[in-house]
Amino acid sequence: MLIEQCAYGNRWRKVAPAAKGLFCLGGFIAAFAASQPAAAAAVAGLVVLITVLGAGVPFPRFVRVALPPLGFLLLGCLSLAYSLDFQGASNDFTVLWLPSGWAPIRQLAARSGAALAALLFLALTTPMIDLIALLRRLKMPEVLLEIMVLCYRMLFVFSEALHDTRTAQAARLGYATPRLALRSLGSLTANLTLQIWQRAHSLHIAAQSRNNDGAFRFLEPEYAHVRRDLTIAALGGALLIGLAVGMP
Amino acid sequence: MHIMEGFLPVKHAIGWGVAAAPFVAYGIYSVKKQIAANPEQRMLLGVAAAFSFVLSALKIPSVTGSCSHPTGTGLGALLFGPAAMAPVGAVVLLFQALLLAHGGLTTLGANIFSMAIVGPFAAYAVFKLARSLKASLAVSVFLAASLADLLTYVTTSVQLAMAFPDPLGGFMASFAKFAGIFAVTQIPLAISEGLLTVMIFNALARFNPKELQDMKLTDTAEVRA
Repeated sequence: MLIEQCAYGNRWRKVAPAAKGLFCLGGFIAAFAASQPAAAAAVAGLVVLITVLGAGVPFPRFVRVALPPLGFLLLGCLSLAYSLDFQGASNDFTVLWLPSGWAPIRQLAARSGAALAALLFLALTTPMIDLIALLRRLKMPEVLLEIMVLCYRMLFVFSEALHDTRTAQAARLGYATPRLALRSLGSLTANLTLQIWQRAHSLHIAAQSRNNDGAFRFLEPEYAHVRRDLTIAALGGALLIGLAVGMP
Repeated sequence: MHIMEGFLPVKHAIGWGVAAAPFVAYGIYSVKKQIAANPEQRMLLGVAAAFSFVLSALKIPSVTGSCSHPTGTGLGALLFGPAAMAPVGAVVLLFQALLLAHGGLTTLGANIFSMAIVGPFAAYAVFKLARSLKASLAVSVFLAASLADLLTYVTTSVQLAMAFPDPLGGFMASFAKFAGIFAVTQIPLAISEGLLTVMIFNALARFNPKELQDMKLTDTAEVRA
């Protein structure tokens, strides 16, 4: 997973996660508060610039991560660009191109772009483990945190099992025709589904043998300059909001 | 397909979040009760969440040549009950937003509502209805999984149409547009997912009948057959 690699390998790995979260929140508020599409676009550009130059996420990698959501955005904007009218006489309906001009599309694209940039800033600089620790401090329900911790641990186990099984099936021509592919996928997913119980049971036994009585607790890393990081993030977030609201 | 980050206007984003919250809260309450009765459930739901995250990265071939990924909502609802799917689905959607940039944080509420609430409850209701009409296990599972898939995308289309009503035709025209785009990929996908889920259930019945019985979906005779 590309995002995961960047989250661990960027320059701001040691910055307090709370600060990064705060800056991301500032980005979201700025994206939605922007008065003009140009202001939202400026916010998006600034956040991308900070992610690439500040946190040192390689730009080509940033683009590769952003491409699928941008594809969704293109499709979404396209569906706003034309308009169906059923109101005409005798059941005929007309298709109109750009009934209200480019303005709503520009606004939507700029807002989504800015919000996406803010999300990617957080995702590309902060590993999931840090985010879970942050959510724990924000008093997220314990049940959800447990599911998140386990999900994150097992994710990689399952993707490896999936990859290995798929390779073995492909080596036996399991994906040669669409019919075979569906069959192979069926037995692959069925096999993985069975593993849910097996792996959960092993985890349960492992936890019990270590006297686990409920919650999973982990040591949290210490961050050296939490207060400084938070101050900088708050200033940065305020700058984004100011830019979004103030830009003529 | 998840609604991307920032796509919904702020009122809609908050509104869907508020609509999804009670279901997630009830789900957490019911999961807590399950864990108290059976501590092994604690691990089971986390592992199941990881499974469905990995499953969503799987491409299944569909009839029109396009590829799409299974949602797994139907399968999860049948295996773990619709209430537990709300918190599990919320975690999976959060992970997809943060690890794959698929979906988003501001649209999390809307996506939870369509994929982790409407889909699972629809699957469960369809399954129960089909079983009460004496349909076979395979037919019931197929109907539950594929209709859950379709209803999920109808919900997403409704969400998008409410946020972006057509300037001329209003809500209905807009709904037709979004549903039309989804229909191209989602109807074949729903059928593929239905077939896939039936295969999974067959394998479960063959290799792991104990778990299926524990879930009280089938009676013993059918599993043995």
